[in-house]
Amino acid sequence: MKVLVVDDEKPARDRLRQILEDESDYEVVGEAGNGHDAVALAAELVPDVVLLDIRMPGLDGIETARHLNELDKPPAVVFATAYDEYAVDAFEARAIGYVLKPVRRSRLTAALEQAARLAGAALREVATEARLDAPRQNVCARIHGELKLIPVSDISCFRADQKYVSVEHDNGQDLIDDSLKSLAEEFEAQFVRIHRGALVAVSRIEKIEKTADGKSRVVLREGSQVDDKELIISRRHVAEVRRRLRES
Amino acid sequence: MTATPESKSQDSQAYLPDFCAASTLFIVLLVAELVAIALTLAAHDAGGQFLIELSKTSFFVIWLALLGTAVMCQLRNRLESSGATRAFVISFVLLEVICLLLAEVSWQLTRIFAESSIINDTHGNFILRTFAVSSIVIALAMRYLYVSSEWRRSIVLEAQARISALQALIRPHFLFNSMNTIASLTRSDPTQAEEAVEDLSDLLRVTLSSPKEMSSLKQELETAAIYQRIEKLRLGDRLTVRWDVGDLPMRARVPNLTVQPLLENAIYHGIELLPEGGEVNVVGKRDGKMLEITMSNPVASGKARDKDGNKMAMSNIQQRFDLAYNGRASVSVDDSGDQFTVTLRFPENEGDV
Repeated sequence: MKVLVVDDEKPARDRLRQILEDESDYEVVGEAGNGHDAVALAAELVPDVVLLDIRMPGLDGIETARHLNELDKPPAVVFATAYDEYAVDAFEARAIGYVLKPVRRSRLTAALEQAARLAGAALREVATEARLDAPRQNVCARIHGELKLIPVSDISCFRADQKYVSVEHDNGQDLIDDSLKSLAEEFEAQFVRIHRGALVAVSRIEKIEKTADGKSRVVLREGSQVDDKELIISRRHVAEVRRRLRES
Repeated sequence: MTATPESKSQDSQAYLPDFCAASTLFIVLLVAELVAIALTLAAHDAGGQFLIELSKTSFFVIWLALLGTAVMCQLRNRLESSGATRAFVISFVLLEVICLLLAEVSWQLTRIFAESSIINDTHGNFILRTFAVSSIVIALAMRYLYVSSEWRRSIVLEAQARISALQALIRPHFLFNSMNTIASLTRSDPTQAEEAVEDLSDLLRVTLSSPKEMSSLKQELETAAIYQRIEKLRLGDRLTVRWDVGDLPMRARVPNLTVQPLLENAIYHGIELLPEGGEVNVVGKRDGKMLEITMSNPVASGKARDKDGNKMAMSNIQQRFDLAYNGRASVSVDDSGDQFTVTLRFPENEGDV
């Protein structure tokens, strides 16, 4: 069984490697010190299981697991934590594999054996129950079978585009699988809906102006990669957009 | 008039006892009767009939006590919420008004039904005497209640400080992560594992000492340095701490566990959440008779989670400072920018408890 070890602390990674090296059934194929590297390595090495620390800087364990789910061959996941009572309760409730630090050999092998791939919905619930449900810091686009993490801070606009949602960000435009509705909920603090099919980052809005035919539209700050003409605000959303703009 | 033994834990913070409780009523009546006896004894002379005088006085005083207790029972919750000083002033005025009203009613009743043969006094004099005696007794009772409530509160504060001190150090995350680090090092670097166990033991020993104990600033800084060594094993290059505390008098007395919890906070809420880590800056200054320790650390932008945990740690330190310096020390926090800064200000060598 191929295992990828992810923890931001080197001694913790060493410990997992030490234990697994003694066991003939497991092979540590790689180590990552953060969530970004973990997603990239998992795509490259295609491990069977990823051992994920929950508390990591940048992408935490649960957000990393959500991105891992988007891979072509998503690995099973086992979480590791020193002490997160809420997360542990959430894992127990859903029979999600986890180990407590200091890691015990018998517990680790048992968890690896049981490790199963998790549905995205379960992870979202866990994130809420574990009180780690901060909005993701990245959204995940799939390009020719590879995963690309787009930092939310780079995004000016989400737009519904037939089956997909198109993300317009500082480095171009990509399609993602999330629904506009779930994105609106997750990022409600940063984004505002301007019409049925578009969310715009409040921080990117410079002003609201009237078009020649009397409609309102959003003008984005310089550097935002969106064609302004398309950002018409529908009548029922004008008041809300103005309110959000005043508050920011 | 002590609080009833079965009173709830939140009552330990209350100013006034629970007047609705039977035990409180009993004590109120007992005190009232003792006052009646004292009054009768004081007025008694050879010619008078002691028991008859006593029964008349008791009758009046007990009525006063019952009525006063009933009113306090009804109003206690509202009085409690208005703060200690106001609660006592309002209670005093209220009870005084009740006494005067009852005195007036008694006078009128005896005049109508007994033609003044019960109260051997003029109208004005009777009201005046009631006023004077009740003022003294109520004032004494209020004073007693105030002192005992302060005493209860100080016990609670001390207990909280004790718990705070425990919480301040053994953050479960830290303990378990350290154990995990040690487990890892036992194989890869046994010497370092040995040192880590020694360091962790020293740290736990400090935590188990009494939170009321004072230690020298030198010891405090040493404890923080031990803590830093353990965290450094875990975080490696991500953690840098710059100490600039040469100006502080190392023999100054400070409460146990003052500096280390600040460093722990800086790491747990700051450095640990930064992928590249960062630098914690500790600066010590002397300002006349006051000493100042400032600790600042960078914070991750975006995810500002666990702000509550941070607040709790700060209020822990604040509580223990209040207890040690009687309000002459301050803990201030500035988290406006991308740095989180805590400043401790406390008098030099004045903390002996």
